[in-house]
Amino acid sequence: MPEGFAVQFAASFAAVALLVGLAAWAKIAKPMTPLNDARALKLLADEFPGRTVEQIWVAVDGRGALAKSGAAALVLCEVGDGYVARHIPWAQAISSSFRDGVVKLDLSDVAAPNARIALQSWPPSSTPPQDKRAA
Amino acid sequence: MKPAFDPVTLAIPFFILAIILEIILTRLKVTRAHYEAKDTMASLAMGLGSNVAGLLTAGVVVAATIWTYQHRLFDIPMTAIWAWVALFLLEDLTYYWFHRLSHERRFWWAAHVNHHSSQHYNLSTALRQTWTGGLAGTWILWLPLALLGFPPAMIAIQKGISLVYQFWIHTEAVRRTPRWFEAVFNTPSHHRVHHARNPRYLDRNYAGILIVWDKLFGTFQTELDEEACRYGIVKNLSGFNVLRVAFHEWIAMAGDVARHPRHALGYMFGPPGWSHDASRDTSATLRAQWEAGQGGEPEPHQAPRKAASA
Repeated sequence: MPEGFAVQFAASFAAVALLVGLAAWAKIAKPMTPLNDARALKLLADEFPGRTVEQIWVAVDGRGALAKSGAAALVLCEVGDGYVARHIPWAQAISSSFRDGVVKLDLSDVAAPNARIALQSWPPSSTPPQDKRAA
Repeated sequence: MKPAFDPVTLAIPFFILAIILEIILTRLKVTRAHYEAKDTMASLAMGLGSNVAGLLTAGVVVAATIWTYQHRLFDIPMTAIWAWVALFLLEDLTYYWFHRLSHERRFWWAAHVNHHSSQHYNLSTALRQTWTGGLAGTWILWLPLALLGFPPAMIAIQKGISLVYQFWIHTEAVRRTPRWFEAVFNTPSHHRVHHARNPRYLDRNYAGILIVWDKLFGTFQTELDEEACRYGIVKNLSGFNVLRVAFHEWIAMAGDVARHPRHALGYMFGPPGWSHDASRDTSATLRAQWEAGQGGEPEPHQAPRKAASA
C-alpha cells in the first residue's frame, strides 16, 4: 500500500471519528418519545396507507408496535431515531416465539431480518374487531 | 488514476468543515438538521469505503475510457470554453440518465440504494456513497463522451464538479433558494424530494446540477409545504451495519433469482419491488395506491392497484 494512501486513509479515519463524536455530543437526533396507540397508528398509516388496523399492541417500552390488519401483521420497530416497518402473515406473527416478555418476529428480509417487541403477553387470547382506521 | 486537478479531493476539507458547521449551528438552534451518531457513522464509513472500492475498478474504468478516447470521432480541445460548456451539459444529461437507471432498474438500484438508506437528510448523507457502483458498470454511460472526443481528464474533472455540487444540496438547513435558481438548478428543496419515500415523491428529481432535465423528461416534482418529506427507502434498514447497507439489495436480488430462476431477468432488471406474482410493490404501484386513496386518477402508465400481499 503506498504511503501516501495510508496517510490519507488514516487522516480520513480521524475525520470520521471527529464528526461522529461531534454528532453524538451535539444531541441533535430526532426527538423520540415512547409510542402510544395514536402515534403508532399515525406511523402505520404513513407506512401502510389505506390499510385498516383491527387491533394494535404497543410495546411496553414504547419502542415498537404490532397491529393486525386482515391476514397481515403490521410490524413497527424503533431503529436509532426512526422506525422500520414491515408486514408479515398474521399466522406467522401469532406463532412467533415469546420469551422473557419479548416477541421475536422473523421478517424474512435481508434489510430487516427480525424484530423484537416487548409485550406483556403473546399471542393475544382473542383479536376482537376494533376497526381502527389509521389516523 | 485522478486528474492533476481533482475537484473532489480539493473539496474534502470543505465537506468536513460544512458538516461541522451544520452540526454546530443546529446545536445552537441557528439552523435545522438532525444527526444521529450511528447513522452518521454509517454514512461516513460508506463514503470512506466507497473511495477504497473505487480503487478496485479504477483501472478498468480508466483503461476503457482511454481506449474509447483513442477511437474518438472528433478532437475537442480542453482549452476551449465552448468545449467546457458542451461537456457541462452533456455530462449532466448523462448523469440524469445514470441516476434514473439507478432508481428504475433493480440491478443498478442495488448499487445505489445505500445512498438513500439513511432516514436522515443532512450533509453526511451526501457522503453515503456506493461500494459497488464500479461493479454495476454504470461508468459505461460516460464512455460516449470520450468517443465524442472529450479528453478523459476533462470528463473526470466535470464528473468531480458535479459530485462536489451535489454535496451542498443534502441539507434541510436551506429551505428555498431564489426562484430563478430553483427553476434552473438542482437545489436542497428539489433533492429533498428525491430522497423522500412518500409515494408522491418516489422516483422524482434525478438531476445532478440542472433540474431542467427532470422538467424536460417528466420526472420533476416540487417540494410541497403540505407534505413533509419522510426520508429513507420504502423498506428501511433495521440497523446501521455498513455491510448490510452496502450489500443488502444485492443479497436480496440473488436470493430472488435463486428461488425463481425462470424469472431471473425480471428480478434483476425489472423495477425495484417487481415480483413475478405481483406480491410486492413498485414505486408505480405505491403511487397508484396513494392516488387511489386521494381520489385521484392513476397516471396511464401506472399499473392498476393489485391485492395487497400478506
